[in-house]
Amino acid sequence: MTAFEAVIGLEVHVELLTQTKLFCSCSTDFGAAPNTQVCPICLGLPGGNTPRLNKKAVAYAIKTALALNCQVAQEITFDRKNYFYADLPNGYQITQHFHPMGKKGFLPVNVAEKTKNIGIHQVHLEEDAGKMFHVGDILSSPFSRVDFNRASVPLVEIVTEPDLRTAEEARLFLQKLRNTLLYIGISDCKMEEGSLRCDANISLRPLGSKELGVKTELKNMNSFRAVYRGIEYEIERQTGILQEGGTVIPETRHWDEEIGATKSMREKLSESYRYFPDPVLLPLKTDTKWLEEILYSIPELPDSRYKRFTEDYGLPPYDAEVLTSSRDLADYYEQALQTYPEHKNLSNWIMSELMGLLNANNMEITACKVEPPELGDLLKLIDQGTISGKIAKTVFEEMFTTGEKPEKIIREKGLTQISDEETLLKIVDTVVTAHPGSVEDYHNGKNKALGFLVGQVMKETKGQANPRLVNKLLQKKLSN
Amino acid sequence: MDPANLSVQQITAKINKKELLLTELGAILAGRSKYAQKKLNLFISFDPQLFTEQIKKNEQSTQVNRPPLWGVPVAIADNITTVDQKTTCASRLLAAYQPPFEAQAVSLLQENGALLIGKTNLEEFGLGCAGNSSYFKPVKNPWDIKRTAGSGAAAAVASGLATFALASDVRGEIRQAASYCGVIALKPTYGKIPREGLIDSASSLEQTGILARRVSDLAWALQVLAVPGNNNPPAVKRPLYPEILGNIPAKTRIAVPADWDQAPLLEEGIKNNFREQLNKLARVGLEINYVTLPHFQYASLVATIIGAVEAFSNLSNLDGVRFGYRKEGKHLQEMYIKTRSAGFSSKLKKFLTLGGLLSTKKYYNSHFLQGQKMRSIIKKELLDCLQENELLLTPTTPCNAILLDSSPPAGEELPDPAAYYTAAANLAGFPSLNFPVSTNGLPYGLQFMAKKEDEGVLLQIAFLLEKEPIKWPIFALELQEV
Ligand SMILES: [Zn+2]
Repeated sequence: MTAFEAVIGLEVHVELLTQTKLFCSCSTDFGAAPNTQVCPICLGLPGGNTPRLNKKAVAYAIKTALALNCQVAQEITFDRKNYFYADLPNGYQITQHFHPMGKKGFLPVNVAEKTKNIGIHQVHLEEDAGKMFHVGDILSSPFSRVDFNRASVPLVEIVTEPDLRTAEEARLFLQKLRNTLLYIGISDCKMEEGSLRCDANISLRPLGSKELGVKTELKNMNSFRAVYRGIEYEIERQTGILQEGGTVIPETRHWDEEIGATKSMREKLSESYRYFPDPVLLPLKTDTKWLEEILYSIPELPDSRYKRFTEDYGLPPYDAEVLTSSRDLADYYEQALQTYPEHKNLSNWIMSELMGLLNANNMEITACKVEPPELGDLLKLIDQGTISGKIAKTVFEEMFTTGEKPEKIIREKGLTQISDEETLLKIVDTVVTAHPGSVEDYHNGKNKALGFLVGQVMKETKGQANPRLVNKLLQKKLSN
Repeated sequence: MDPANLSVQQITAKINKKELLLTELGAILAGRSKYAQKKLNLFISFDPQLFTEQIKKNEQSTQVNRPPLWGVPVAIADNITTVDQKTTCASRLLAAYQPPFEAQAVSLLQENGALLIGKTNLEEFGLGCAGNSSYFKPVKNPWDIKRTAGSGAAAAVASGLATFALASDVRGEIRQAASYCGVIALKPTYGKIPREGLIDSASSLEQTGILARRVSDLAWALQVLAVPGNNNPPAVKRPLYPEILGNIPAKTRIAVPADWDQAPLLEEGIKNNFREQLNKLARVGLEINYVTLPHFQYASLVATIIGAVEAFSNLSNLDGVRFGYRKEGKHLQEMYIKTRSAGFSSKLKKFLTLGGLLSTKKYYNSHFLQGQKMRSIIKKELLDCLQENELLLTPTTPCNAILLDSSPPAGEELPDPAAYYTAAANLAGFPSLNFPVSTNGLPYGLQFMAKKEDEGVLLQIAFLLEKEPIKWPIFALELQEV
C-alpha cells in the first residue's frame, strides 16, 4: 500500500484590536445589537464611498509582518476583490491582492524537540464582511438576516506556505502564531468570538513525491481542538479515497464539530474573483521613521524570551516553555523576580500554586489579584523562616482570594512560624512526657517514632512550629 | 432687467438694497421651472414648497455679513446627494433613494446662502450625454427640443432657471452638455471640489464641476466650493478667482493638436467654425502653437476601459439587498440578476458588462493594465505640452447636440465618439473648460485645458472671450414671458 504525506497550508484571519473600523470611525466592539455600529461608508450606501484609512490598523499589520520575519512593502496599496454576496455591502472587499503588506516570512515552531521554520507566504490587511444569520435551514429558509457591525472591521490575513505535514504541526503552529500575536498585542485572538479564524488547505501526495496533490479547503474550525480534529479527519478521508484508487475533488468542506466529520459545501470554482487597484485609496508610503517606530513597539518575542529564560535564568526547558507561552505570564514571572530573584523556586511556585489556582478558577493571569512583588515577598518569608512552606500555601490561597498582602494575612491570623527555642523546648518537654511509649520505641531503634513526636509538636503549635528546629530539639532531648 | 439674467453679484447687491425680494425672485423661478419641466423634462425632483421654505429661511436670517451666494438659485445634478430630496442618479435602482447625508459641495452652497432650485435629470449615473439612459426620460435641448440637452443641469442654466449648476464629469459630460446647450462649464482639477457625497460611477475619473452663463458667476462658485480636503492640501495657495479674471498673462500661448480635425464624426460646420475661432484668437494677439499629441486620440477608449472597470465595481453595491429597487428571486443569485436586469438601462448594462469582463483575470493584463499605462502616457504628453503652453485648445464635441430619435440610435457606441476631445482631462485630472460658440444656429464649444490647479488661466481666457453676454436659446426667451 502506498504511504501518503499530507501537505497543509493555513490561512489565518485575525481581527485587529483597533477602536474603529478600517475605513470609517464606527466602533469595532464585539457584541453590540445588530446593525448599530454602521455608517454610510461601511454600509456601502451610494454617495458614501469616501473611505478614510485607519493608520493604526496599517501599523498593526506592519507590526504583524515584522514579527513574522516578513519583508515589508515600501508602499501600501489596496485592491478591490469584486464579488457579490449579501454580507458584502459594497460588492467588493478591500484587500491587498497585488502588493501584500509582508512577504516571505517564517515562524519557528518546536515540533518533537526540533525547531521547524514554517514559511509565511504573505501577511495582508483587509476588511471583514458582515455576518449572516440563516433562519432555519440554510438551504430551505426563505430569508437570512445580515448584521453589518462586523463589516469593514480590520483583519490581518496570514497565509502560510504549504510547510505543515500533520494535524499536530498545524495545531502547534497555530498556538505559536496566536502566542506571537498576543505578545505584539494586535489582536485578542479569541477563536470562540471569531477574532481568530483558521482555514486549512489540505492535499496528499505519495511519500517522497515533490508534486502537490488535489487540495480541499477546510473551513469552520472554531477551536484549536477543531483544527486538529478537522485536519486529522480530512487526511484520513483523503487517504481512504486515494488508497481505493479514487480522486479527491477540489472543494470547500466544512468541519462539523458535532458529528466529528467534514462535509462538502461547494465545488471550488477556479479563481472567479475580479481584482483591481482601488481607485479611491491612494498609495501610502511607509517612511523609515514610521517603520522604526513600529519596529521598536514590538516587545521581546517568545523565542528570544525562551532563550533568555533557559540561558540567563537557568530554567529547565519545560519551565521556560510554560512561562513564555503567554506574554502576561512571562511578564508576571519577571516582575516577581525583581523582589525574589530565585529563578527556579519562583518558577515552581508560579507553575504549581499560581497556575493551579488560576486553572481551578478558570481565570487568566491578568485577572489575578496577587501582584507579582507580593508573591516574591511571600517566598522571601519562607526563606527567612518566618513561615513554613506549608503555611505559605494557605497564605497564598488567602492572597489569591482577597488580594491582601502576605505580611498582613500572617499577622492577622497569627501564622508566624515559631522558631524560638525556649518556647519550643517547653512543648517538646510536654510531648516527650506525654508519650513515654514512643520515647522507648525510639531508643529501641524505631526511627518512625521520631516522626510521630515531631507531628505531636506540630499539632500542639497548630503547624506553626519550625519543623527543622523541632526535629533538632527532639533528637537532642531524646539523646540525653 | 429680467431677474433670470442677473449675475451672482447683482442678485446679492439687489437683495441687500431691497431692490429685489427673494420671494419675488422665487415666485418667478418657481413658475418658470414648472413650465420648463413640462417642455424639457430637466428636473427629477422639483419641489416648489421646499424652494419656498429655503427662501423663507434666508429672508428670516438676521445674518449681518451675508455670504457671497446669498439668494443665488442653483441646480444640482441628481447624482449629488441631498438630505432633504431624493437622489436617484436617474436610475430605476435608486428611483426612491433618500440619502441620509448630504454632499459636502451642497452643504457649502447652502452655507453660502444659495437656494437649491431642484435636482436635475441626467444620463443614468451621469454617464454620457446622448439622452438614452435616464429612467426619467431624456432632457430636451432648449435650443431644439428634438435634440438631447446632455443634462438637465446644462438645460437649467441655459434656460436661466439657475445662475449656476453642479454636475459631474466622468469622460467630459458637463463640458459636452455645455457644448450642446451653449453655456460655460468647468471641470476643475481632480478633487478640487470635494467629492464627498457624489455618487460616482468611475472614481478616478469623475469630478464635480460647475456650469454657468457668466465667467464671474463660475468664479464665485469655484471660490466657495474649492475648499481644502482630501486632495486639496491646505498649503495650496489659490488666487481669489473673481478678482483675477481680467489679468490674463500678456503672452498666453495656446496649443492646438495638429490633428484636431481627425476626430471621427467631426461635423463640417464645426470644423470650419473652429478654424475661424482659431483665427480670431490669433487676431487678439494670442499665440497659437500646433503640437503633436500622438496618444490624445486614444483618450476616450482608455477612459472607457478604466471607467467601465471602476463603474462595474462602484455600482456593485446596487444589489437590492440594503436599499433601492429590488426584484425578488427564488434565491440570492436570482434576486441579483432580476434586480440588476430590470434596474439598469440597456446602455449602462452594456458598459457594466464590459467592465465586468475587463476586470477578469483573462483581460486584466491585456486591457486594464494596458489602459493604465496608456493613461500615464497621455498624462505625460499633456503635461509636457502644458509646460510649453498655458492652454490646450480643441473643439469640445465633434458635433452639435445629437437628435433624440436618431436612427440607428446614437450614443451607445464604445468608446463614445462624443468624448473624443473631453476624456483626456479626466485621465490626467487636469482642469478643463467649455466656452460656447455657435454654428448653424446651434451651439458647440471651445474646450480649453490647463495644467493641474491652473483654473485661473481657464477663467481668464473665458473672460477674455466673453466680450458680450452669451446668447440665450429661443426657449429661454419664451420662458421669460412666463
Ligand atoms: Zn462605518
